[in-house]
Amino acid sequence: MFWNQLLWVIFPYVMLTLFIVGHIYRYNYDQFGWTAQSSEFMEKKSLKWGSILFHVGILMVLGGHLVGLLVPKALTEAIGMTEEMYHAGAIFGGGFAGIITLAGISILLFRRVSVKRVRVTGSYTDMLIAFLLFLEILMGLYNTLGYNLFVGEVDYRTTLAPWLRGILLLNPNPALMEEVPLFFKLHTLFAFAIFGLWPFTRLVHVWSIPLEYLKRSYIIYRSRNAKRAVQIRQANSKSTHPSQL
Amino acid sequence: MKKRLSPLGKKLRFFKPLETYSDGWSELSPKDREWEKLYRQRWQHDKVVRTTHGVNCTGSCSWNVFVKDGIITWENQATDYPTTGPDMPEYEPRGCPRGASFSWYSYSPLRVKFPYVRGVLLKYWREALQKTSDPIEAWKSIVENPEKSKEYKEARGKGGLVRASWEEVNQIISAQMIYTIQTYGPDRIAGFTPIPAMSMVSYAAGSRFLSLVGSPMLSFYDWYADLPPASPQIWGEQTDVPESSDWYNAGYLMMWGSNVPLTRTPDAHFMTEVRYKGTKVVSVSPDYAESVKFADTWLAANPGSDGALAQAMTHVILKEFYVEKQTDYFYDYAKKYTDLPNLITLKKSGEAYVTDRFLLASDLGLDTANADWKTVVIDEETNQLVIPKGSIGHRHEGKGNWNLKMEDENGKSYQPRLSLLGVEDQIEILHLPYFDDLKRDVIKRSIPIKKLQYNGEEIIVTTVFDMMLANYGVDRGFGEGYPKDFNDLEAYTPAWQEQFTGVERKQVIQIAREFAQNAVDTKGRSMIIMGAGINHWYNADTIYRTILNLVLLTGSQGVNGGGWAHYVGQEKVRPAEGWQAIAFARDWSMPPRLQNATSYYYFATDQWRFEEHPMSSLIAATVEKPRYEHAADYNALAARLGWLPSYPQFNRNSIELQSEAAKLGKSSNEELVDYVVQQLKDNKMQFAVEDPDHPVNYPRTLFVWRANLISSSGKGHDYFLKHFLGTVDGTLSEENPELKTEEINWQKEAPIGKLDLLVNLEFRMSGTALYSDIVLPAATWYEKHDLSSTDMHPFVHPFNPAVASPWEAKSDFEIFKGLAKDFSEMAKAFLPNTYKDVVTMPLLHDSPDELAQPFGKVRDWRKGEVEAIPGKTMPKLAIVERDYTQIYDKYISLGPLLEKNPVGAHGVSWSAKEEYEQLKSLIGVVKKEGIAKGLPSLETDRNIAEAILTLSSATNGKMAMKAWEAEEKKTGLKLKDLAEDRQNERFNFADITAQPKEVISTPVFSGNNQDGRRYSPFTNNIERLIPFRTLSGRQHFYVDHEIMLEYGEGLPVFKPTLPTQAFAAYENAPDTEGKSITLRYLTPHGKWNIHSMYGDSLTMQTLFRGGPNVWMNNQDAEEIGIKDNDWIEVYNRNGVVVARAVVSHRIPRGTTFMYHAQDKTLNTPGSTITHLRGGTHNSPTRIHLKPTHLIGGYAQLSYGFNYYGPTGNQRDLKVVIRKLKEVDWLED
Repeated sequence: MFWNQLLWVIFPYVMLTLFIVGHIYRYNYDQFGWTAQSSEFMEKKSLKWGSILFHVGILMVLGGHLVGLLVPKALTEAIGMTEEMYHAGAIFGGGFAGIITLAGISILLFRRVSVKRVRVTGSYTDMLIAFLLFLEILMGLYNTLGYNLFVGEVDYRTTLAPWLRGILLLNPNPALMEEVPLFFKLHTLFAFAIFGLWPFTRLVHVWSIPLEYLKRSYIIYRSRNAKRAVQIRQANSKSTHPSQL
Repeated sequence: MKKRLSPLGKKLRFFKPLETYSDGWSELSPKDREWEKLYRQRWQHDKVVRTTHGVNCTGSCSWNVFVKDGIITWENQATDYPTTGPDMPEYEPRGCPRGASFSWYSYSPLRVKFPYVRGVLLKYWREALQKTSDPIEAWKSIVENPEKSKEYKEARGKGGLVRASWEEVNQIISAQMIYTIQTYGPDRIAGFTPIPAMSMVSYAAGSRFLSLVGSPMLSFYDWYADLPPASPQIWGEQTDVPESSDWYNAGYLMMWGSNVPLTRTPDAHFMTEVRYKGTKVVSVSPDYAESVKFADTWLAANPGSDGALAQAMTHVILKEFYVEKQTDYFYDYAKKYTDLPNLITLKKSGEAYVTDRFLLASDLGLDTANADWKTVVIDEETNQLVIPKGSIGHRHEGKGNWNLKMEDENGKSYQPRLSLLGVEDQIEILHLPYFDDLKRDVIKRSIPIKKLQYNGEEIIVTTVFDMMLANYGVDRGFGEGYPKDFNDLEAYTPAWQEQFTGVERKQVIQIAREFAQNAVDTKGRSMIIMGAGINHWYNADTIYRTILNLVLLTGSQGVNGGGWAHYVGQEKVRPAEGWQAIAFARDWSMPPRLQNATSYYYFATDQWRFEEHPMSSLIAATVEKPRYEHAADYNALAARLGWLPSYPQFNRNSIELQSEAAKLGKSSNEELVDYVVQQLKDNKMQFAVEDPDHPVNYPRTLFVWRANLISSSGKGHDYFLKHFLGTVDGTLSEENPELKTEEINWQKEAPIGKLDLLVNLEFRMSGTALYSDIVLPAATWYEKHDLSSTDMHPFVHPFNPAVASPWEAKSDFEIFKGLAKDFSEMAKAFLPNTYKDVVTMPLLHDSPDELAQPFGKVRDWRKGEVEAIPGKTMPKLAIVERDYTQIYDKYISLGPLLEKNPVGAHGVSWSAKEEYEQLKSLIGVVKKEGIAKGLPSLETDRNIAEAILTLSSATNGKMAMKAWEAEEKKTGLKLKDLAEDRQNERFNFADITAQPKEVISTPVFSGNNQDGRRYSPFTNNIERLIPFRTLSGRQHFYVDHEIMLEYGEGLPVFKPTLPTQAFAAYENAPDTEGKSITLRYLTPHGKWNIHSMYGDSLTMQTLFRGGPNVWMNNQDAEEIGIKDNDWIEVYNRNGVVVARAVVSHRIPRGTTFMYHAQDKTLNTPGSTITHLRGGTHNSPTRIHLKPTHLIGGYAQLSYGFNYYGPTGNQRDLKVVIRKLKEVDWLED
């Protein structure tokens, strides 16, 4: 009981709190550290592949997770999607996305470890987060493909997903996690660990998508401090500068 | 105040509706301009402080240091130099990339932050002190215990430095000093710090303390081989050179062995700019140096052959401008300002004659004061002998008519005759010494002579000019022995030089003609910038004399835009008199002990035991045999005849002689001196130099500050490590079984580890710091008050602290002040009495001592040739009272002797009584009870700077006026107008901090910089007729001392480099497998460092290969299979260095360059021969003592500290180079 409480209630909330408060803190106090810390300057060739594969893959994975976890089963069924259809989509779509992402993170991790210039110029958290992501994605892919193909289907949409929605709706039910297979559990725990570390790593760059360009006008004005402008005008009028005479 | 929005808050404005215009094409941004702060703050600072760099680069550039939040952030060149006037480029801006990177050191990992003591030593010290609770006993128990002392000495250079408190280090040092003073005497302690001009107060900080103790300061200018002995030989002047802006006045400019863009970076622009006025620039350099790039003509003379080149140029000038055509301008100059018309006696040698000495008034039996010191010429019209004014005899007779007016003693005017040809009595054959790479020979040439009869004796004489023409082979119809034309291979024709220099004869003739013709056309604006490239040789003085011929014979010396411009070392202390008085504590006691460092290190490091050549292989062919076969014997002679200082002094304690004499009932000072003389005469007491390897005579303590002795200037690096310091070393040399000393006792075994304590004040962990027993954290140049000046420009710059010294660092002044205090305190218990210290003094330059030993003949009292008379035939003996309990009180106050004795320099002196009084109100008085109470306070470094400025004629108009008045009294000339316009100026520290200021004209220097005129040396001698400080009072071509003649250097000659090989014939070289090559080893100054400074900084390391490197020619490299950047081993008998090869066709074949002062603290692997880490650039070097540099007690050849004396030359060496098979970092 205690373990259930700790793992599926306390731990996720601690991590989510860290996630939120950490971001606010970092954004306010480390403006110049808020960056992806690109290491392209140090190495380009493998980054090109690793980075593109990983980023494309992870966006697809994100989409899959949103659909799979946040949309209740009842809703998908209501629009006529059968269990088989859903699973085929999850396995083929998710498997494809997972393989791309895994390939990407593998290249990135290998690069981070084996290229000396990247290794020595990077920070400890860069290495840690790459390693965690690698594990996380590996387990995710296993859960999607391996478990489904070799062990049997897991209907996480009746256990894990409602539990997660419970967490997000501040109504956690740890009992829902009891029947979830080990690797799904681990995948979930690692995910929350990554959320907790997130604000203190280069992952913060995720929040810096330059959305403002979408709506920005072509010409930008900046207002001068009106009060100060008046002061300066007055001061100038008293001076005997030739331009004022 | 409105609360500032957090960044996140601002970001959320994204959702706020915007004010938009023009149908949404434009909008009002919600963002503020906070982000710009980053860029603004980058260059914001809290204060700007004017300071400079104390690094012996000769730059003395004014810099602004920027401080932000209490941290030094960066530096910028100051731009506010006073203008040089119209038609002249400005000094602004000055600086170089090295200086611009200095702030890196302030907080660098190399910074020495705390006082450190070697762990082994500190452990023993704490144990011993606990046991004995008597510091002197404690020290004694360590140093007199052979195992313990061996152990801590062997640990030198091997790390293990641990932190200690200031109290503890002061206690150890004081105990060691007191033990040494009690046991051996104060002269066993010494201080080495170079180049006062680069930070005068910091120099004075230690020298003042040591001078009060009675411990010698070691010289540096001669030790660095920066001193050109040719300068005192020719002019009686240490060095006096034009400021760099005067290059812009030149009509013809040669750079000879001086890589101006590299080593004079802030000044080089004057050289590049003058080319746009049409001045031709010629570079003489063996390699394709940076200076060559700027030159119109490159004379690529082989290394060390420069003398041959200059001899041939002299030959051309004498032939074409003196004989074939008599150039009026040159003749007038030669007659008035040189010794060319002087008569020289000739000595019979078989059937022929050899040159002897100057004919003197005493030879003619004339009844005049100082008749042994007045030279003689012949009047052109009357053909009568004339004693012209201006010679050294006039100088010291005090009649006040010592000048260069063309008058004899009685005021009768005359015109000297240059040559005897036409009025000669006879033509005789003169034998002249000749040297080249293969042989020592005699040149036989006809010469006109005159026979004089006095007292029944016949004296054969000729003129210096006639001897010069004979020497240079310029025929005037004599035929035999003379070369027929420029293509004859006889000495010293352009064809002759070709075989040594590799420079085409055509080129030599052309450049010589152009140089001289330009001087004719411009009245002497032909200039030669010369430097270390030619000055670091064993025979550098002969090279210099041959080159200086060119400026003397063309009337270019003493003319703006003309003459020599020797720049090697930042030698010019502009406020000289004030500095000297304070630095050597002359305000409290006289005289200080000042030792020439070359002799000191030569014996202390036992390099003398490893000489490879007997002197008989170096003497003139006109001489049968040398006085001694071993160079060290000359030094023993020089010590006992008073030529050179020699500390450690006697083989007895100099403060105990008093009690020994007292036992015999001799208590007065005179009796004490008599006692000492008698002891020496009876051979009951010896000079320490006569047995330098006896433990009683070891140097015991050395303070090093503002210097990197071990890794930068310590030529013979591994001899230092072995014999001086007693730690592991890489020497491979053996003693020469054939070459032993006569005058010096040869101990059977060479001692290991003579020095008991090495103390280093440093701000970075340099090689010296790593080898020191105690390292004291010093302030950097951005953390103290000090003064800097240089010969390159006429300003005196301040150092100002930008921040207080961080960590436990203190300025040199505060460190020595603290030590003086603790030392005096300890002395109360252990040295409580007042001691009479018997101080030996050499016969000094610019003093009446110059007249001590007439005729340039060696007369040895020990052989009974003369009576032993202190101050005449032997060193002067002075008695100085030492009260060690009062050292501190004296240290912090300006003593009463300054009020009583005159101040001065270079033979002029005057009273500073008013200035002394003035200082009391300017800088305040000491309030502490004791002897110092009420005296001007020197309790801060700034006060010392202020006192120096006030007490010097270059920085105080009143002092300048007094100085000129004193000079007027000596010369009978009107001179005061030279400073009259600035007589009310007194520089103070705040003035020069506000803006650089040009110094005032003073007789302490030989040039005139009045009214914005650019400084050029000797212009006052030429224009105002102040004599040169030489025997004849003129510029000397001939130097007649017996030992000069022994080595064939009476006249300028060409001498080859020493016949040194990598290993001597009697030595076993290490086995070489694989290919190796033997090359000449040169260590010129580098591009990314100033000596060892800057070279270890991250910024500079990044600019080149980031570790030790050695340059070699591509073909040489190919021959032994070396590619660029390969690791190589460079070695000879003196040691081994490991470095990376830089392979370049820029370097001439047969020569390798290891740029100066590459420390072994960075990226240096082990050697396969010694299995030790790398070595430094000085590992393969050593010094050779040249006997002619040891001469003293004779006119301009008398000793002066850093003025005359043996140079620490290190260039005449070869090394073996081979590929390093295995790179071992010695890290397991």
